[in-house]
Amino acid sequence: MKSIWENYKTDRAYDELMCSEFQPRPISYRLCQYLNSLNKNDIDKRKMAAELAILEMGISFTVYSDEGNIDRAWPFDIIPRIISSIEWRKIEKGLKQRLTALNCFIADVYDQQEFIKAGKMPGAIINSSKNFRKECIGLKPRHNVWANICGTDLVRDKDGVMYVLEDNLRVPSGVSYMLENRVITKRVFPEILQNIDILPIDDYPGRLQDMLASIAPEHIKKPQIVVLTPGIYNSAYFEHAYLAQQMGAQLVEGGDLVVNDDDCVYMRTIEGLEKVDVIYRRIDDDFLDPEVFRKDSALGVPGLMRAWKAGNVSLANAPGAGVADDKVVYAYVPEMIRYYLNEEPILPNVQTYLCDNPEHLDYVLAHLPELVVKPANESGGYGMLVGPHATTREIAAFRKIVQKNPRNYIAQPTLSISTAPTLCKGKLEPRHIDLRPFILQGENTFVTAGGLTRVALKKGSLVVNSSQGGGSKDTWIIDMERN
Amino acid sequence: MLSRSAERLYWLARYLERTENIARLVSVHMNLLMDLPNGVEMGWLQLVRINASEQQFYEKYKSANEHNVTRFLLIDDTYPCSLFSSLSAARENIRTSRDLLPDEAWEQVNEMYLFVKNNIDSVYNRSSRVVLLNEILKGSQCFTGLLSGYMSHNHPYRFIRLGKNIERADMTSRILDLASLLLADSRSDEMRQYETILWVNILKALNAQLMYRQHVRSSVNGDDVLNFLLLNENLPRSVSCCLAEIAGCVNALPNCDSLPEEVTKLEAYVQTIDTRQTTQAQLRGILDSLQNKVGELHNRIANNWFMQGIREDAAAE
Repeated sequence: MKSIWENYKTDRAYDELMCSEFQPRPISYRLCQYLNSLNKNDIDKRKMAAELAILEMGISFTVYSDEGNIDRAWPFDIIPRIISSIEWRKIEKGLKQRLTALNCFIADVYDQQEFIKAGKMPGAIINSSKNFRKECIGLKPRHNVWANICGTDLVRDKDGVMYVLEDNLRVPSGVSYMLENRVITKRVFPEILQNIDILPIDDYPGRLQDMLASIAPEHIKKPQIVVLTPGIYNSAYFEHAYLAQQMGAQLVEGGDLVVNDDDCVYMRTIEGLEKVDVIYRRIDDDFLDPEVFRKDSALGVPGLMRAWKAGNVSLANAPGAGVADDKVVYAYVPEMIRYYLNEEPILPNVQTYLCDNPEHLDYVLAHLPELVVKPANESGGYGMLVGPHATTREIAAFRKIVQKNPRNYIAQPTLSISTAPTLCKGKLEPRHIDLRPFILQGENTFVTAGGLTRVALKKGSLVVNSSQGGGSKDTWIIDMERN
Repeated sequence: MLSRSAERLYWLARYLERTENIARLVSVHMNLLMDLPNGVEMGWLQLVRINASEQQFYEKYKSANEHNVTRFLLIDDTYPCSLFSSLSAARENIRTSRDLLPDEAWEQVNEMYLFVKNNIDSVYNRSSRVVLLNEILKGSQCFTGLLSGYMSHNHPYRFIRLGKNIERADMTSRILDLASLLLADSRSDEMRQYETILWVNILKALNAQLMYRQHVRSSVNGDDVLNFLLLNENLPRSVSCCLAEIAGCVNALPNCDSLPEEVTKLEAYVQTIDTRQTTQAQLRGILDSLQNKVGELHNRIANNWFMQGIREDAAAE
């Protein structure tokens, strides 16, 4: 009987579970021992059980294509990724610190702009940011928190250090997949889960509900909370419906809401109009209110910004919060932490070159083949150049694009991001992974225990986005003191 | 509760009920054919007639044989009333209403959908078709059971019951309409010989055979069956019983306007039908008008509670 570990070769990247080809890390010792007790046939069976569960539970995401939208089953790798609780506590602290500083920054941007006045950042960065909303100047959401829900992408480089790759502050998605991944793992590996102390994650919907209730307009005792979705054709519709269901909140579309002359938001119910206090909106700023932003938006609610400015409804995340979700602004986060919190950053940034800065731009243009170049405002892994994997022609084309609009591009060294054993055609092979924990901030701050681990299923690939051939893994934070 | 959600749950229930009805019709019909001698005029086309879809059928198929009719009724995804189309529509409605229902409800419908989708070719073979139809019947009952046991009997639940019973009343009246043809004087002597078998199968199609025997306590005959299926107050698929369920839901829902009175009127109308005093032609007329009235009731419900009503109000302004 051949082992699924046969020829497992860790490359130069850090492997999350293995120190070397044959030696598991202390943290993954028991998992590896357990996997060794299963033969290939057993593993195949578990994998099939997971696939069946995903189909039956209807865990899907939508892919846009020329032939219409296709609902695809969620790609899931049954081998979990493990982090020790000791390391995790530090990461958790770092994530809280980071989001707190980011929220201070956003509040400052729409207020006195002290950070810029103090010379910490050129004002031009804000003025040229397409996510800066002048409509928000002078406003103060509850607790002065603008980004209530944040998904921060972390990667581990070959030095073993976790770096922050980006902060998603607009409408980060993926948390429902994190929750469902655990449900599937419980079905697939019930034996091992019982014997290892893994931090539970299923309190997220409750925490989300608490956070949303904590930002309701001040006088409201039992706020009516709704999740605003762009509709069933959105790629994250599954998640919108899932979170609404788990929180016991209403899932609404733009057409279900109306803003009346009293500047309050109502939803159309079988009993007539019912007032709405908190909206967890999963629609980008641009589409939120056709009276203020894009006039052609059929997804939003006319008058929503009026109601929000009047303080009659809370929006999470607040409009304009995306100003900090910009890869140029990202480069200044360590400085924000020092400036607003008077602390040293716990989690390091990846070295970032701002093409806007002439010195940086020269360096970037001279080193394109070894850098990753990203647009400042895109998400989903679109429109970027991975230097080491690009052809000479692609690099030449990108050079022109960057020179044309340097403000819109940043560059980073190509990290050798960590790998984890992943089931590929019946045996384990190392595949590159990242991690997206979710942070909630309202009256209090909360971080998920772990997060969504995304894996690039193609050999050697560094792109983990599900829209581009990525999959996911369950993430275990193991209590080391008790195991 | 959102008007949009009410609309989706109502249609979810209608589509699921339709799915179950088609499965039951086809499965009863297969049994019936086994009991009848070859050559008796009770072909597969009757099933297409019940759904009033002859025209659509002949646009695509030349002859109404078993292969074509089962294909058309069960898996033709271009025919909106086929079992697979109905089930797909039910799944789409529940997929967009997951915030209101227990997880198991979605998983149940999703499993049924996947089962049919993965076994689409099994309908061409009699024995595998039986398995598929049984799976659907079981699944539908399972869905009803888990909603009844897992879900608060609240407004969302009422809209589900409403949709289910509107669809059910419609289907029962369609089956009776077809059955009334069997009372026609013009039917052949050979057909008369097998009349009892036909009526028994009508009862089976509506899960009413046992209840009928307990209630009527005599051999099966046409008039009694018609009366029983229209008027019996306890049989879940009788028209009266469906209307009583509808009345119960309508009365408990907010902003019900004049709907309770309208349902009461319809109930009274059904009570006055006496199948023994009518000719076959009159009976067909009565059943036709009953189907129209159920259709009107649906329109009233939609205008009163659904987004459709809001859209029409907005257009009127």
